[in-house]
Amino acid sequence: MVRWQRGLWLFFVPSFGLLAVVLLWPLGYAIYLSFFDYYLGSNVRSFIGLGNYVDLLTEQRLWRSMWTTIVIAFGSVGLEFVVGFALALALYRLNSSARVFSVLLFLPHIVTPVVAALFLKWMLAANWGFVDATLLTFGITPPDWLGDPFWAKISVILADAWIFTPLIMMVLYAGLQGLDESLIEAAQIDGASNWRILRHVIIPALIPAIIFTISVRLMDVFRFFDIIYVLTGGGPGTATETITIYTYQLGFRMLQVGKASALGVITLVIVAALLLTINRLLNSIYRGGDR
Amino acid sequence: MAPLAIRRATKSFGGFEVLHGIDIDIEDGEFVVLVGPSGCGKSTLLRLIAGLEDITTGEILIDDKEVSRLHPKDRDIAMVFQSYALYPHMSVAENMGFSLRMRDVKPPERDRKVQAAAEILGLTPLLDRYPRQLSGGQRQRVAMGRAIVRDPKVFLFDEPLSNLDAKLRVQMRAEIRVLHKKLKTTIVYVTHDQIEAMTMADKIVVLRDGHVEQIGSPLELYDTPANAFVGGFIGSPAMNMLNGRIGEGGRSFVTDNGAELPLAAPPRIEPGRATIMGLRPEDIEIDEAGFPAQVQLIEPTGADIHVNLEVSGDVLTAVFHERLGLSEGQSVRLSIPVDKVHFFDPDSGDRIVG
Repeated sequence: MVRWQRGLWLFFVPSFGLLAVVLLWPLGYAIYLSFFDYYLGSNVRSFIGLGNYVDLLTEQRLWRSMWTTIVIAFGSVGLEFVVGFALALALYRLNSSARVFSVLLFLPHIVTPVVAALFLKWMLAANWGFVDATLLTFGITPPDWLGDPFWAKISVILADAWIFTPLIMMVLYAGLQGLDESLIEAAQIDGASNWRILRHVIIPALIPAIIFTISVRLMDVFRFFDIIYVLTGGGPGTATETITIYTYQLGFRMLQVGKASALGVITLVIVAALLLTINRLLNSIYRGGDR
Repeated sequence: MAPLAIRRATKSFGGFEVLHGIDIDIEDGEFVVLVGPSGCGKSTLLRLIAGLEDITTGEILIDDKEVSRLHPKDRDIAMVFQSYALYPHMSVAENMGFSLRMRDVKPPERDRKVQAAAEILGLTPLLDRYPRQLSGGQRQRVAMGRAIVRDPKVFLFDEPLSNLDAKLRVQMRAEIRVLHKKLKTTIVYVTHDQIEAMTMADKIVVLRDGHVEQIGSPLELYDTPANAFVGGFIGSPAMNMLNGRIGEGGRSFVTDNGAELPLAAPPRIEPGRATIMGLRPEDIEIDEAGFPAQVQLIEPTGADIHVNLEVSGDVLTAVFHERLGLSEGQSVRLSIPVDKVHFFDPDSGDRIVG
């Protein structure tokens, strides 16, 4: 540990200053703006107190976009986690030569999300896209992937899973590498089935890695924008309109900057509360003992 | 409690054979120690018995039942790992009860068995603690508790004391012995430490390069080592090995460096034959009528004094119990008692009955 010396705080100034400029100032300004009725481009900026918040919380569209966000977030993170964990376990059991395979699995994650989304948009294009063309040759009539409200949600979830499953796989695989193999052997001798070894030995040992991946992914997916923007733009109608897409619509399409700022603040509070809850929940399940 | 037999067991890892036809018979309730230098295959053999590695050819019989194709959980064995392998997120009681829980033993009976095992090992006050809150010795004891709670047919120990400090190791050595006396379960214990092997075993199996070198009681191995390797491995400080030949009329042993060591009685080996003479450090005596040597180094250990003695180019280690007041560089005369000399063939290393 570094012994405290007078003047050391000076070293703290550049990073704090930078954070203040790029993080704290915009945040503070957004909170400030959220109390005003303010259209981008107009000179009038009238203070309306919590008016924007009341507006937002009483209108249908916010709750609908919130629900869409939750469905997409839990759908994609759930799918990514299950598939990613299964792949990590498979990789853990494979011998070293087969691990080259993992690089291939990681490919979708190397591509920029916007590019990946554009690529998927072509794949999913109606009639002549790769997916539809393939299905049609087998005589299967494909659904309208991006045009049908239900399938659009599914497409968005699958797109996110396709890009981020490799990340979860790698983090959990790294966690498995750090696992003391004799724990698994001890459990085998103790008479645990593979399922129970997973449940009572492997998962508890991976809890820190699991909390990390789920938290990071949920945080990310609540800010989910690029893939949806490219794939559906929030449509059809508002079927895939998440909070971020709605915020974008408010701020940059309807130019209601004050209201958009208020929505940003609401999103922040919700995400923070959600993450705290999930952390507490996962921790209490496994840290408090295994029963 | 059950006898254990290993028949012609071999183990290969990808075409590379590490165990070459191992045959060992272990009686019901016997404490057997597998000992050997690192890489000799002793841990692999233990893992074959446990079922953590698949046997390549051969058989393993527990209680006269062939088990070598069974899953570890169906062999009715318990194992104590070198790292203890305690489940970090479970309390001591949960760790000890885990195997019972996996076998669907009802909670009241589980608690009773865990309590009983904790009682035996003095773990009762620690039952609610987590492994990270325990000292090394306590973790070691919990690992043993987890093994005994199920009352298995065979206990397997994989170098269980190597992570403890020297003093605790001596204490746990005795505790494991006492535990064995109490439970009378068959134990197979792996170690690289020959002192652990000597002090704990009913029977020692010395392994080298995947072969059994000798099987016998600690004193059998010490008194009549089957070959130069066992002679050198068992006993501390190690047995002195001198290359040379039996002299004229069997009255002496002439080292390759030309020293002539008188033998009180002629061995039954033809004179002139090249041999290795093995000599325990504790068997060398100071004797005014003996052969000359020079004191090279003195290492007092407290109870004994270890002395390196040069005999025309060869160095012998001797252990003296008496305070002889020797000084480095001093000349002394030594003799060797009649029946304490071992002779080995220099090519095969095998014992020559002398």
